[in-house]
Amino acid sequence: MMQVLASLENSAFGTWVRESSSLLAYPTILFMHTVGLGFLVGLNAAIDLRMLGAAPRMPLAPLEKFYPIMWTAFWINALSGTALLIADATTKMTNPVFYIKMTFVTLAVVNMVIIRRRVFRRPSLDLTPLSGSTRVLAMTSLFFWAGAITAGRLMAYFGPVSGAPGLQNRIP
Amino acid sequence: MLQAFSTWLHSTRLSWAVAGGIPWIWPLCETLHFMGLALLMGVVGVFDLRMLGMAKELPLGPLQRLMPWAVLGFTINLVTGFLFFTGDPFQYIHNIAFFFKLLFIALAGVNVILFYVTGLYRRVDGVGAGHDVPFPAKIAAAASLILWIGVMYWGRMLPFIGNAF
Repeated sequence: MMQVLASLENSAFGTWVRESSSLLAYPTILFMHTVGLGFLVGLNAAIDLRMLGAAPRMPLAPLEKFYPIMWTAFWINALSGTALLIADATTKMTNPVFYIKMTFVTLAVVNMVIIRRRVFRRPSLDLTPLSGSTRVLAMTSLFFWAGAITAGRLMAYFGPVSGAPGLQNRIP
Repeated sequence: MLQAFSTWLHSTRLSWAVAGGIPWIWPLCETLHFMGLALLMGVVGVFDLRMLGMAKELPLGPLQRLMPWAVLGFTINLVTGFLFFTGDPFQYIHNIAFFFKLLFIALAGVNVILFYVTGLYRRVDGVGAGHDVPFPAKIAAAASLILWIGVMYWGRMLPFIGNAF
């Protein structure tokens, strides 16, 4: 297993992402991952807040139009995340926090699909008050995305050191 | 002046705490900084994309009531950002990426101020479902998206173009 990870990490692509001095390598991929986070989590949060009662006179139904952007942001992050993972395969894939992050992301994305099917596809949407289960879905969505962000950030602090050369975990 | 201020700031107990004296503060602030980023980008994104013609069934008046959440996201990032600066001022004051990040935040701020003082805010507030916003509002929306994405770019480049971590 470790050999597979090492060969991924030392592949031409992995080495380029990690060690190229070009801004197009690690820095730009990390930037894409941040933009994707902003739109994927941000648009989800905006929808969740509306489902929890913010901006009550705004109809909820048109917000479904933002799903294609959220999916685009998701795929940007799946791809940029894969590139970052290949570049640091031996450290990230052996870091338990990475698997916690992936669990939260999976739960959040499933939650996002359930909201589209159960809330946006309801014929009485915007005609009747929002149900209790709608609020629960909004709260679990916010919780899962918050968990994903937290775990993502803490990967730099717990478990094996990865990322740019010279970095150190600052919480032992 | 900036040097003296930074030296003083760096000597405070707050700076010591943020820079690792209390080890969980820095990662906590980073996590909050990303949550604030998402809140700001999400709400501003809905607003700007609607003005640019997406999800036109959204009436702008009621949509503007979502704005306090974007302000909350910005405030979280202002506070956590100030704490990063306090923790280690010297990795930022000579950092070109940090300069551009502040410049882009200032330009985004000017964009918001112009939106209000030129009366564009009131004209947009009355735009109902299915209608287009006035053309200047579309320009403001496009500028807003570009500037905030730019802020994220310069923030991400802090360790790469500059030398911050």
